[in-house]
Amino acid sequence: MSDLRVLYVAHNHPTLHPGGAEAYSLELYEAMRGEPGVEPVLMARIGSNVARRRVAHPGTPFSSVNGDPNQHFIFTETDHFDFFNLTSRDKSLYSRHLTDFLLAQRPDVVHLQHTHFIGIDLLSQIRRVLPDAAIVYTLHEFLPICHHHGQMVRTFSDELCPEASPRRCNECFPELSPQSFFLRERFVKGHFANVDRFLAPSAQLMDKYLRWGIGEERIEVEEYGRLAPTRRAPDPRQAKAPTNIGFFGQLSHFKGAEVMMEAMAMLEPESNAHLWLHGANLELQTTEFQEEFARLQESLRGRVTFRGSYEHDELPKLMADLHWVLIPSIWWENSPLVIQEAFFHRRPIVCSDVGGMAEKVRDGVDGLHFRVGDAYSLARTIEEATTNPRLWRSLREGIRDPYPMDAHVSRLMNLYGELVEQRKGVTAGA
Amino acid sequence: MPETVRERTSTRRSRRSEARSARLAVEVELVVDKERVELQPTERADEPDGKLKALLRDELAGLDAERRTAIVDELASSSLLEEHGSLELSGSLHEIREVLRERLPTCLVEARQPVGLAVEQILAVDERSFWVSGWLHDEDGEGEVTFVSPEGARVPVTADAFRFERPDVVQFYAGLQGNPTRDHGFTAFIELPVPSLLSSGWIAELKTSQGVAVEIRCPDPELDLQAVRLKILGELGSRGPVGGPLAAEHGRRALTRLQERIVGESEVDSIDVYGEPPAAPAVSIVVPLYKRLDFIEHQLLHLSTDPDIAEAELIYVLDSVDQKEELAAKARELFALYGLPFKVVNLTAGAGFAGANKHGIEASKGGQLLLLNSDVIPDRPGWLRGMREFYESQEKIGALGVKLLYEDDSLQHAGLYFHRTAGSELWENAHCFKGLHRSFEAADVARVVPAVTAACMLVDRDRYEEAGGLPLHYVQGDYEDSELCLRLAEAGYENWYLPTVELYHLEGQSYVADTRRVPSEYNMWLHSEIWGEEIEAVMASFDAFPKGDR
Repeated sequence: MSDLRVLYVAHNHPTLHPGGAEAYSLELYEAMRGEPGVEPVLMARIGSNVARRRVAHPGTPFSSVNGDPNQHFIFTETDHFDFFNLTSRDKSLYSRHLTDFLLAQRPDVVHLQHTHFIGIDLLSQIRRVLPDAAIVYTLHEFLPICHHHGQMVRTFSDELCPEASPRRCNECFPELSPQSFFLRERFVKGHFANVDRFLAPSAQLMDKYLRWGIGEERIEVEEYGRLAPTRRAPDPRQAKAPTNIGFFGQLSHFKGAEVMMEAMAMLEPESNAHLWLHGANLELQTTEFQEEFARLQESLRGRVTFRGSYEHDELPKLMADLHWVLIPSIWWENSPLVIQEAFFHRRPIVCSDVGGMAEKVRDGVDGLHFRVGDAYSLARTIEEATTNPRLWRSLREGIRDPYPMDAHVSRLMNLYGELVEQRKGVTAGA
Repeated sequence: MPETVRERTSTRRSRRSEARSARLAVEVELVVDKERVELQPTERADEPDGKLKALLRDELAGLDAERRTAIVDELASSSLLEEHGSLELSGSLHEIREVLRERLPTCLVEARQPVGLAVEQILAVDERSFWVSGWLHDEDGEGEVTFVSPEGARVPVTADAFRFERPDVVQFYAGLQGNPTRDHGFTAFIELPVPSLLSSGWIAELKTSQGVAVEIRCPDPELDLQAVRLKILGELGSRGPVGGPLAAEHGRRALTRLQERIVGESEVDSIDVYGEPPAAPAVSIVVPLYKRLDFIEHQLLHLSTDPDIAEAELIYVLDSVDQKEELAAKARELFALYGLPFKVVNLTAGAGFAGANKHGIEASKGGQLLLLNSDVIPDRPGWLRGMREFYESQEKIGALGVKLLYEDDSLQHAGLYFHRTAGSELWENAHCFKGLHRSFEAADVARVVPAVTAACMLVDRDRYEEAGGLPLHYVQGDYEDSELCLRLAEAGYENWYLPTVELYHLEGQSYVADTRRVPSEYNMWLHSEIWGEEIEAVMASFDAFPKGDR
């Protein structure tokens, strides 16, 4: 039997846009390339918002990536993407170019990491062009459900939103009618009908999609598999107390930037806790946010140090002096990759008590929860964590290894095989 | 005046009994003999002049209006103008027209007048064919417009014109009662029986079904070729889809004529020879150059390291003629540097991609032709030999194309097919596997394809000529190579794609600018119009994306 051809579709390529889902997509593709019986192909979107020039040739959106015959860029204009209905306004992208690409590649399985900037119509086009192909879709956030950046947080407050509906969505976006939200949902679900299996990296994410109407036979929890880092961070230097806390990721409102800064301001004067910020994209935030952040940082000199952005392979070095990793997000999160990074390097986590964070970090076992969005609660948790070496050691003992890539790969291979058989049954019966 | 001439003249006159004549130009005279009024060649160039006005007054001015108009038309349409046409003759005919023609009242365009006529442009496609546009308004839409050339030839326009609504004209006449004209606008490609040489003096007449007859003076014809082409394309682009009835009934004829003229006006100016090209080459490589001369330095380097190329005849054709000196200087240096002999064909005027190839091919000797773009750079030596060996192994081969790559090793060309969007009647050229990596398995199969690109194409000279060569009727290039391939297929040959030969083709990054929209749409329409049925048949049996082993 010939190799199973699996086409991975990602909305960005990590060489152009660093990000968790992007890094995972490339890692998975590379892991699959080392696996017998499977030939992976990666199609990553590139566009005017990430590329410094048009990486496209006349007459085609496709080009090859860094000499790898199985990696392809697909160029789409950011302006052509309809962020409300999640579709491309340029339909020839599907009818012409993606059709040709699918016919040329003829994958047995299309595993989508994302359809952002390409468009959700791709799902229907795959089904039409390749009736036998199994379609797998990994869900990374709530974009299909929620127009508010896929966060499921209300626009007018930071209240977490448990459930979308045309009425509730219209409350968040008064300028968009309930009818348009109804149409949006029907449109997305119409294309989602072509997906054979959804993968949710966390149970809480799956629950929200179940409530939204994805049938339980079509969705399952499958955590991101990760490659173990080539080296682990050394233990922190022995000090009297575990006072160093690290934050990794975007410094944005949804990531809880203000919550952690306010908490640091609320610490007792004698506290020795120190927060090290390894953050990116501050310049992309609103001016008000940047000004507020600068004001807080100025007033917290000596307690908070901003160290700029970082590369993934610097993590062992950056973690070396840290005792804790802090995840103060005010949205649900899915399965934050920084949790896996921290656990690889044996650092317990302090995090908000909701969503993917509460699911992946066990309170009192391998980390500590605080009340989401509550700076006071976080301040008290930090004081407890940074003054109690015994607690730190016991949480550290409680850390388990993250889900390894090889287990993930073998689960996916089984799933692909199962779905390909299932498709054969469907098309033979048709 | 010598005596003998007078004698001869009088002799001839007496022989013709009542006939009277007057000289119109060096070689032409007007002869009036009872009912017969015609142009005749004069036997001597120095015959006396000055009797024309008297002749017209005495013999013709008294005839009725209809007859006079007919005479003017007949004289201006005389086949004598084909051979003896001159500005002097045209001037005399214009004079005759002005004396004999029945003048109609001048049409005044006013919102309360039920009859209106306007001619907005006359574009000279060549000396005898014109593109005219304007509008008319009358009582019932039945009015007929006739154009009168400066020499007096009459061309009815409305019967065959493309008619369309003019909201501005509708608005202008909104106050009038009754059943107003619809489709006020008219555009037409018109042809005169013989050339018209005067650049001013056109008249347009309108006769309505109610018997109203008016005339207006027209703007002078636009003579600049490029401006004419631009304005015709502009009209095609603004009257519905580019490939509508305007293109089918008028645009195609006008643009085809214009393209012939553009190519026809370009001739070989000189051929510069660098080194000693082979005397009896088996294959001639023809490379048109347009503006980007920097590529040839790269191309020559890589050609010079391949011993096969020295045995071939290498011909560059400079289509951007104002770069002649620049290219000559560069060519001298590059020949001194690389020692590879080649020729440069200089033209008197730009001929376009197909036209430049035509000149290059006419100047070449090889029994095989290798059409090559200047931005094609071989990946490794041996490519020409590889192409020729394959070509000679296939008995029925027409055109041979090869694997062409972008700078990032993506496929630029692996054979052409034709694509039609559902619901559209137009076929567009599409590239198999474009953008995928050069090692893509399904693109590694030699096979018969509907067409191959002329960026690098090998074809037998006799077969090329049998198929009529690259067509010249497309505007600024696009579909020449696919049409050539379709013609070869029609003549019974097969077009092949060969993947074992690989070259880079740095196809321009320039996206279709807005100014290129109408020409490309027109070319696509023309290609589909001519070849639609053949394409349909070939695509019915061609699988652009074969499954292969999978």
